[in-house]
Amino acid sequence: MSKYIKLNTDRSEAIKSFLKELLENDKISSVLSLRKHKNGKVDYGLTSSVDLLDNIEPFYPYMPANAGQLMGRFTPMEKPIAAIVKPCEFRAFVEMVKREQVKRENFIVISYSCGGVYPLKINATQEIDEKLADYQQQVADQEIPAGIRSSCTGCEHINPLETDIFISVSGETDNNLKAYLRTDKAIDLIEFWHGQPEDKEFDESSLEKLLLKRKEAKEQLFAEVETKDTGLDGLIDIFGRCIGCHGCNSVCPICYCTLCDFDSFNYDYNRQILEKELEQKGALRLPPDTLFFHLGRLSHMSFSCVGCGMCSDVCPANIPVASVFKKIGEATAEMFDFVSGRSVAEEIPVMIYKEEEFPELGE
Amino acid sequence: MTEIPQKGVLLNSENGIQNSILEFLKTAAEKKVFDAIMLPMKVPSGDSFAWIMIKDMALLDNTTPLAPIMPVNAAKAVKRFTRKGEGRNKVAILIRPCEVRACVELSKLNQIKTEDLVIMSYDCPGALPMQDYIKDPEWGDSEFKKLLSDNIWNSDIVKPVCKFCDKFSLPASDLHFGRENDRLLLMANSEKGIDFISEMKLEANEELDNWKKGIGEITSKRISIKKETFSVIKNKVEGLDNLLNTFSECIGCHNCQSACPICYCRQCYFDSVVSKPNSDIVLMRAKQRGGVSLPLDKLMFHTGRMAHMSLSCISCGLCSDACPVNIPVAKIFSYVASETQKTFEYTAGESFGDALPMKEYKPEELGELGDLVNSAGIQEGDHE
Amino acid sequence: MSDKIGIYVCECGPNISSKVDIDRILEELAALEDFKDKELVVKRHKLLCSVAGKAYLEEEIKANELTHLVCAACSPRDHDSTFKEVCKKAGLNPYMYKLVNIREQCAWVISDKEKATDKAIQYIHAGMDRVLYQEPLLEKQLDSNPDVLVIGGGIAGIESALTLAGKNRLVFLVEKSAELGGKSVHFQKLLPRQGINADTINRKIKEVNKNPYIKVFTTTELNKIIGFLGNFEIVLKNNKDNSETELLAGAVVLATGYQNANPQDFKGYKYSKEDDVYTALEIEKMYKETSQISLKSGKAPQQVALVHCVGRKEVGYCSKICCNYLIKISDYLKGISSEIEIIDLYQDMCLPEKEDQEYYEKIAAKGIQSQRITAVKVAGNQLTYTGINGSETTIEPDMIILAPALVPAADNAYFAELLNIELHETGFFQEAHIKINPVSTNTDGVFVVGANRGACGISDAIIQAQAAAGKVLTQLIPGQKIIPEVMVSEILEAYCTGCKNCLDVCVFGAIYFDEERGISVVNEAICRGCGNCVGSCPSGSIRTRHFTNPQIYQEVKEALRKC
Repeated sequence: MSKYIKLNTDRSEAIKSFLKELLENDKISSVLSLRKHKNGKVDYGLTSSVDLLDNIEPFYPYMPANAGQLMGRFTPMEKPIAAIVKPCEFRAFVEMVKREQVKRENFIVISYSCGGVYPLKINATQEIDEKLADYQQQVADQEIPAGIRSSCTGCEHINPLETDIFISVSGETDNNLKAYLRTDKAIDLIEFWHGQPEDKEFDESSLEKLLLKRKEAKEQLFAEVETKDTGLDGLIDIFGRCIGCHGCNSVCPICYCTLCDFDSFNYDYNRQILEKELEQKGALRLPPDTLFFHLGRLSHMSFSCVGCGMCSDVCPANIPVASVFKKIGEATAEMFDFVSGRSVAEEIPVMIYKEEEFPELGE
Repeated sequence: MTEIPQKGVLLNSENGIQNSILEFLKTAAEKKVFDAIMLPMKVPSGDSFAWIMIKDMALLDNTTPLAPIMPVNAAKAVKRFTRKGEGRNKVAILIRPCEVRACVELSKLNQIKTEDLVIMSYDCPGALPMQDYIKDPEWGDSEFKKLLSDNIWNSDIVKPVCKFCDKFSLPASDLHFGRENDRLLLMANSEKGIDFISEMKLEANEELDNWKKGIGEITSKRISIKKETFSVIKNKVEGLDNLLNTFSECIGCHNCQSACPICYCRQCYFDSVVSKPNSDIVLMRAKQRGGVSLPLDKLMFHTGRMAHMSLSCISCGLCSDACPVNIPVAKIFSYVASETQKTFEYTAGESFGDALPMKEYKPEELGELGDLVNSAGIQEGDHE
Repeated sequence: MSDKIGIYVCECGPNISSKVDIDRILEELAALEDFKDKELVVKRHKLLCSVAGKAYLEEEIKANELTHLVCAACSPRDHDSTFKEVCKKAGLNPYMYKLVNIREQCAWVISDKEKATDKAIQYIHAGMDRVLYQEPLLEKQLDSNPDVLVIGGGIAGIESALTLAGKNRLVFLVEKSAELGGKSVHFQKLLPRQGINADTINRKIKEVNKNPYIKVFTTTELNKIIGFLGNFEIVLKNNKDNSETELLAGAVVLATGYQNANPQDFKGYKYSKEDDVYTALEIEKMYKETSQISLKSGKAPQQVALVHCVGRKEVGYCSKICCNYLIKISDYLKGISSEIEIIDLYQDMCLPEKEDQEYYEKIAAKGIQSQRITAVKVAGNQLTYTGINGSETTIEPDMIILAPALVPAADNAYFAELLNIELHETGFFQEAHIKINPVSTNTDGVFVVGANRGACGISDAIIQAQAAAGKVLTQLIPGQKIIPEVMVSEILEAYCTGCKNCLDVCVFGAIYFDEERGISVVNEAICRGCGNCVGSCPSGSIRTRHFTNPQIYQEVKEALRKC
């Protein structure tokens, strides 16, 4: 049973003061969150000084990097770090825990029902600040704000059950803090909230209105990447513009390989091999394997895709990578009854061996 | 400096530069002057271009020899083809001067072999920003057509690096297509080029003086623009505060490094284990100033990349094209590169024969740095 | 097995103990915050490098089952290897230990005892951080190869081969022309006693051919060589049929000789094939083959001018042997006819050996007009010389014999690059030290003998050959083992893109390029661990064992912490 804390203070202020107390009382070593600088720029940072916690912007609608990727690189520590991140970032973190890249105990995670982020090109400058008031209103009204990342419009995973603390934001008519303490770790820190705890679970049905709209938007996104036929022609239509920069896998929180297979020796072809292809097919696209890279990445990680949309945002050729990966990811994951980032205990399908599996394929 | 050819071949250009060049290449293919040729082709979705190595010459009609955009630097494409192993096809490529310069640098780094490669280039009017083209390919095609047909050299719609490019003509290629208004002049720039022209049964009888003069005038204008651009960018990045500010938007995606033709490392140093320190080190750094930006060392990635590759930077601008947050990487790196290259009296991409400063040992070098040390009052043997 | 780190602070007699507070060092080290969950043994000793000290250390390592060792003592230049040996005896891999210098770097340079102690603690702490990242490295033993490669079949090479060859040591004698003997085979007589060449040089050549331990390769040149003393990998190439031979040897003796300068390269010498102007070597050959010295017309000369010091000013050194051989040629001439007028023109006379003066006087007594001059011009058969009083005289002798400067052979630069040895500014090979190490070079295992290191005669060549042989005999003992360096570089092949930056900066030739995989690879037997390649790789894909980035970083980070 979650403990529920309600405060009559602005949720940003409440979180700041909670984190300050945690830091002052040595419960955490530092805080990982978005921060705003004097020059108006917003980035992710690790804050270890109580005073500098004044600069954090926990709910800012911007994602310069998927924080799950940043969290996924921490080696074991004595004291945990408190991280306030968006649901998809937390889910990515969970996927990294499953892959032995980081320990769950490293972090006390605060997440919330996120309204979406603005694309990178808008930048953390005045433009977002100007839109902020409208954005917050639309989140309160459970409308999808205009101009956010397309992948955010279709995101249905805004209630991550395994975070330590969950802040209800979407649909809340005021900006006051409503926090659900879901784990023992979070409950142990109750005293630092200075409020009266109740026994209460988060009412999922309160998100229904928004989720319906999000589902529609998701169908729309999936329809946009639907190809006319199955097979290579359709895929080339979508990925034809790819320049092979691998920016998508660079920013993807799930792609954790030190050296991607597609950048390694295995795809460094000898000229004779390429000339043989050239002679057999009459023509050869260079650099080779542009499409193959995407197919490979799909098969390697799509079922763990958290739909954060970093990939589409960084793509210099405006390819809707996130929509494709999310669509295929969800379809593949469904085959295994798997949902990416839902629970640390839920094993990655490719790591589980079952003697009897997909008998229908055998038939 | 490449030897400037004395005379050229005047090619028929009634149907426009693109078509003339395509006809010429078709003839060359028929005469089997080359076995395969790499040219840009529009992708099926019609909104971008890709490099295609063609052996079946019937496909030549599907190519656009002079592409409006440069999504991939040709040197990167050629590198994948020639780095390892011997070939049996004589290959020709038709690429922009900056791409030729990238090929020159990569060949010095043992990434491109030029033995059975014929490099052709052309007077480049510039390239449009890739994203602008993708958003409206029809507009892009028609604008680029105008650049060629109307001989525009001061266009506003080309990439920022193209606006100040003073090396848009006659790089260290084997053959070059010069444009003098609507005249198309083919000139040989090497032994291979001379052989090519004679295999085509053509004779170089056309005077090139007018063309050289025209190119010279445009080049002078571009040099002034370059000076101005650099002084503006210098103010933007000079000093640590300005540098930090300019790169503060950087999200550390490393797209600039992936798109750069010169960055040839299989794994960038800044993606290696050094970018993944233990938690205790990260926390120590956070403690030093009360906080630290994540991912770590975004600025050091840029200054490190400058240290590693600015001596070979050929200002193709792919880095800026690839940047998702609109940092003017190409301008900044071009400016820094012009300074570092000047220090070593080296011009990247100019000639296959110039040794890379990094690979050359000179017992006496950079004497002025010794003077700097002396003037700083540091004496040998000083200790606490 | 959990880590157990032993830290031993040496008093070094009073050297360290009087200048730093060792008690405080031990106390603070034992209480270090970041080592509190590691097992530490922290002790002191009077003198670790003494017999008793070493025995103590060995016992401590064994008894405490140490996995890592830090010794805080003197400079590694003094005792790094000492304690490495102790580790080996105690069964601890010698690369799991670190010697921290708190004598030269703390006790001896900081007068304030507190500050010196602070610094010592900081440095030892840094060493402890480093040692935790060190990895055990296995030393390999290679059999040192006692055989010797001698390049050059002239008198210096022949003498080297004869002195060195024996039952346990083969000599490979490589000569690029078809015959052994070099230039000295062309001399009819040898100085100073006028011995007949056949008895000396030719006899030596016969001995070489008979010797079962000398393998002679004529019309053969050195094509490739990599390695170091005791372990050279060699490829020879036959220049007639292009066949290759691969060999192993432990040392290289370079005896490639010299060449005579072309007098017409110097100002003031102009003549054609038709003129009776000869170099001394041409006269020697003529005399040996025909027992005559004749003009082009076939007649014997009546007036012969001998010109010393041809090109000496230009090359900047005296060629040492010419004065003597011109006297010998005078003797040849007088033997043909006592009436021949010999005009002997020298700018300086060089007769350094103990019998040279006597020899000169004996021959001069037969009637030679020796004259000191300051300048000379030869135009065809016309010779103009300037005497020391400044007056010019022109003569037209029947025959002019020139003694040109001895200059470096054309392939000196090629060998310098191939063998990684240096050239003197004159172009001759540079010996390791002109006085005290005159036949060694800056590369271990490579020796230079004979006229390729400077003008010299046959006696000198033989002396040097014997000297180099002496060096080889003491440095390359048959049956001896060599331990190649283990702190060598390795290239992470998964990351290499074959740009060859590392290959270009490697001065030892220890990196080769694998064409098939398109990557560079370190030859660990040749690598000396200098680390040049590590710095040259932009992707950071090369590491030097025992000097990896984490190891260095850990030590530096701690050492600079309070800065």
